[in-house]
Amino acid sequence: MDKNNNHPLWQNIFRHKDDDLTAVCRLWSSTPLFSDIPESCIRRLVKNMHPRLYKKGDKIFTTGDIGAGAVLIKSGEINIMASDTVLATLHTGDFFGEVALVVDEPRTADAVASTDCELIFFLRPDLEEWVHNSPRQGAQLLANISRILAGRLRQANNMLATNND
Amino acid sequence: MIKLAEMPLLRSLVIFSAIMSMAGLCAYLLAPLLIPIILSFALYALFDPVSNLLQRNGINDSMSAILVLILLVVICTIGVSIVFPMLAEQLLILQAKIPKLWEFLTEFSLKIKNLLSGYGIKFDPDAITKPIMSTSSDWGKDAVIRLSNLLIDMTTTIILVPLFTFFLIRDYKQLRNRALDLLPNKSFELGWLIYYRVAKKLEIYIRGIIMQSGIMAIVTSIGFYLFGLESPILLGTIAGLLNLIPYVGPLLAMIPPVIIALGAPVFDPFLIVAAVGVIISGQIIDNVIVVPALIANAVNLHPITVIVGIIIFGNFFGFIGMIIAIPALATSNIILTGLRNGMKKNVVT
Repeated sequence: MDKNNNHPLWQNIFRHKDDDLTAVCRLWSSTPLFSDIPESCIRRLVKNMHPRLYKKGDKIFTTGDIGAGAVLIKSGEINIMASDTVLATLHTGDFFGEVALVVDEPRTADAVASTDCELIFFLRPDLEEWVHNSPRQGAQLLANISRILAGRLRQANNMLATNND
Repeated sequence: MIKLAEMPLLRSLVIFSAIMSMAGLCAYLLAPLLIPIILSFALYALFDPVSNLLQRNGINDSMSAILVLILLVVICTIGVSIVFPMLAEQLLILQAKIPKLWEFLTEFSLKIKNLLSGYGIKFDPDAITKPIMSTSSDWGKDAVIRLSNLLIDMTTTIILVPLFTFFLIRDYKQLRNRALDLLPNKSFELGWLIYYRVAKKLEIYIRGIIMQSGIMAIVTSIGFYLFGLESPILLGTIAGLLNLIPYVGPLLAMIPPVIIALGAPVFDPFLIVAAVGVIISGQIIDNVIVVPALIANAVNLHPITVIVGIIIFGNFFGFIGMIIAIPALATSNIILTGLRNGMKKNVVT
């Protein structure tokens, strides 16, 4: 059976597409972005998200690029960099670039794949469509984004205050 | 050697030209199906909110598409069984009146000729009426054939459009995702943003002009009926359809009711004023109430661009070209601006 499952033909027939979907749903639902949002809603949203593959060393985006949405790491590692300095290393289940979900601003750092990775893009058009179709859950998601961004602002203020001291 | 990567403007122009060439090629290859496809997309824009509403209430994608299809079939059936025969009947009445109308116009122009000759002014009415008479008589002879051809085309369209619309409502988002996922990683986000801007603007514009055209048809039909003009529904429908063409359409819409008013059994100048007045009133309602509520600034194009675009598209693609001129220009504008800004690494506006 295992032998059969390794063959692409049998993989396509027997592979449960849902397994992939469930895995991505689980990763997203464990992030603060989707807290208090029902599993069924996350599932509907994830169906329309965009998986993309990157090789080690590939740039996901660079500073100044137009951002279209948040990115979840399904597998692999990403370095967030500014002027060749690694600011953070993100792993499976982490997400980044969420500012682009709410504003039309250029990216403020570089994101580079430090291993081969599979990323899931959650784009602003998907979010706006969803907010339009499911206003209640959409409002919850927007509140979550606000909380995350407020947290980032507080963190930045604390860092500035520490630097000034 | 020129490096495209270092020249954002040139690079965006090259990509824009490639996109436009592909769009042109698709339009050429799909030419026989272009009208049903355009109509299906227009109906998709109109009925997608209905499908979303059904899905929001727990109905799945396929079932909501089926329910929308049923709604469309009901509307088409009503259209075919009630509105078409009514319009055909009014068109035949109009055709029968054309000889009488030209007879009246000839008499009227002779009266003007006599009146002007009293003041020593020469006026040859035949120079104006003869070419119009011959054209209209040809049109009159062909009207029934044209009408039957039109009905055949309409029947094909009526079968294809609900079918295409059903598949668009059910599968469009998946097809769109698959197509946009083909973009390379580097331009994936930019591609999505440009697509989204185009789609959003077109959706507002198409939904707006369909509703605007319908409202204009109803308002003017009622107006023509109240003032006792013949074939009010036909005239209203023509006014509604011509309203799809900005600036030029409302002017063209005045011609048929004025001709009908001139051909009235008893010449009545009030009827001519009323015919023009109904169109003008319809335009006032349209510009003061309908446009701000439904279309607003869906397409930010300069009036000159709009008029030149309508003339050029009309020249190449006829009436349909005049209607698609605005969305086509607005789409090109958004794509080019988006590409230029994206290549410069700025915000897409």
